[in-house]
Amino acid sequence: MSAALFYLASLIALCGAAGVILAKSAMGSVISLLASFFALAVIYLLAGFQFMAAAQILVYAGAILVLFLFVIMLLNLGALGTKFELSFAPFQSARAKLACAIAVGLGLIGLIAAQRASLPESVAQASAEPIDSVHNLALALFGRYSLPFQAVSVLLLVTMVAVMVLAKRKRVGKGNEQ
Amino acid sequence: MSFPPEHLLLLSAALFALGVLGFLIRRNVIVSLMCIELMLNAANLTFLAASRLHSGSETPDLQGPIFTIFVITVAAAEAAVGLALIIALYRLKQSADIDATTEMKG
Repeated sequence: MSAALFYLASLIALCGAAGVILAKSAMGSVISLLASFFALAVIYLLAGFQFMAAAQILVYAGAILVLFLFVIMLLNLGALGTKFELSFAPFQSARAKLACAIAVGLGLIGLIAAQRASLPESVAQASAEPIDSVHNLALALFGRYSLPFQAVSVLLLVTMVAVMVLAKRKRVGKGNEQ
Repeated sequence: MSFPPEHLLLLSAALFALGVLGFLIRRNVIVSLMCIELMLNAANLTFLAASRLHSGSETPDLQGPIFTIFVITVAAAEAAVGLALIIALYRLKQSADIDATTEMKG
């Protein structure tokens, strides 16, 4: 049952990922990505990561994709992307071949890694209870990993300021541009 | 959990490969950024699969989830900065085409 669900979710995640590449408009890409993220959340749940599944849906599907949607609607790119533009045109297939070669190579590396990954016997029948219980996670995050936690908070602050500076419309006639 | 954890690694490799492929062949900047998100998700899946492989029923391995939290945070920051850059670029060029920006002569 759980295995069937896992393979179904994997299929949806892969189809969503393929849809991101193949969608005709940027809006279609966002919707495909959404399907992919939800399928990944299901996989996290099946693998025993309940908090991660919740975070995946809240942060990725809830925040990041909405940001993408905002920008697409703001710039009216849903219409712009309607013609299917791949970038082989200027590079004529050399770049496309390189891209395919890299992608296939990475896939093969992953395949080998997955086969090499040795599985301790005790883990094979690990219980289905969550690895990332919020209690354990909080103890680790505010204990051993509190320094990276604070660094990431500073990163978020810096990002906030940077985004405001970048996206601010330059005032015309105020004399502070060159 | 009745599926082998190695299959998580396989799925992650496939997702990452699709992300790289999309990043290299699509010209729309926003779609490129989405492919980056896809790659980050594949990385998250790898972290979690590793954590799954290394944690027993008594001793949960928390490094995977912790790093996934950090990756999610950095991905959110990256998406925000990337989209702000796209908005600035669009104001300059009136286009979201990756080939419209050739100042750097990459």
